[in-house]
Amino acid sequence: MQDDDDITKLLRIKRFEQPPPEYFESFLQEFKDGQRAQLLMEPAWRIGWDRICAFLGEHMPARIGYGLASTAVLVAAGFASFNILETRPIEMVDVASTPTHRLVVQEPESLDFGNQGNQIQLPDPLPAMAPTTSFSTPRYVIGAQPASYDEPPSSF
Amino acid sequence: MADAAPVNPDIELVARTQEGDARAFDDLVVKYTPRLYGLVYNMTSNHEDANDLLQDVFAKAFRSIKGFRGKSSFYTWIHSIAVNMTINFLKKRGRRFQMSLDDIDLNIQNDKEFIELTASSSPVREADLGELQQKLNESMLKLSPEHRAVVTMFDIQGMPHAEISKILGVSEGTVRSRLFYAHRQLQAHLEEFRIK
Repeated sequence: MQDDDDITKLLRIKRFEQPPPEYFESFLQEFKDGQRAQLLMEPAWRIGWDRICAFLGEHMPARIGYGLASTAVLVAAGFASFNILETRPIEMVDVASTPTHRLVVQEPESLDFGNQGNQIQLPDPLPAMAPTTSFSTPRYVIGAQPASYDEPPSSF
Repeated sequence: MADAAPVNPDIELVARTQEGDARAFDDLVVKYTPRLYGLVYNMTSNHEDANDLLQDVFAKAFRSIKGFRGKSSFYTWIHSIAVNMTINFLKKRGRRFQMSLDDIDLNIQNDKEFIELTASSSPVREADLGELQQKLNESMLKLSPEHRAVVTMFDIQGMPHAEISKILGVSEGTVRSRLFYAHRQLQAHLEEFRIK
């Protein structure tokens, strides 16, 4: 305990380390100048934003603020979902007008149920595969199946 | 008629600042500059660093004062800002710096405690005051920033343990433990100036 007191007494000497007397007089002015300089260095949008925040903070009670924020979120969510629905309309397909292939299912003779055969109407599964050029025969055939009707590039 | 409870003038100055009265904050700056300067200077042992840090401390306090709700006193709040900013600064600065010490006020020769110290300790009496100052600051700088903060507030500024614990946000036990450890370290560095 005695040692602690000795240290404390020695350290009290540091209380007498003081800046020049005029330092404290000029500190406030230096602080104000520094604040002003810092304000001038800030971008205009930041100053504007700070003022808006300060204005809203002063003039808008918390309850109104929360209400407005909640409304804004709901409106944004509604707008976003409306856009999703608008960009992906449901495609209505006129089945009657689409080209069809007739598929005839011939039942084996051993399983004759008295029908000549059932006819099933199926929509054309690959309308895009129909030849779009004047060629009636495929240009390329792979494994006995037509692969392309396109003409070869002229550079060949 | 019952006496009205004394009103802390800081409360009114803070309220006026929060309402946008910058002059009220100027009054707070003038009031707290000497005390906070002492805190920051004794932790950094450098006048220029202390000055720059103090400017930053008041700038931060001004920016944050709207959020000050009075859960602690303004005194505790501004001291917390100063201590935390200084500790962060010291951790960034590391060991790369030079001491820039203020002069010792010559009124120390008339100080009762200093007279007692020099009367009872021949090493202190014989040492040059500048040499003693240099040695004290070197010893302080060997402490960690957290220990230096506690020593500055307790031994140099004379704050009670309870106030220091509020400022640092730690228990009083932690404050005492840090002081104990810091004093042991300082004794080792200042052995030559022991009184007995």
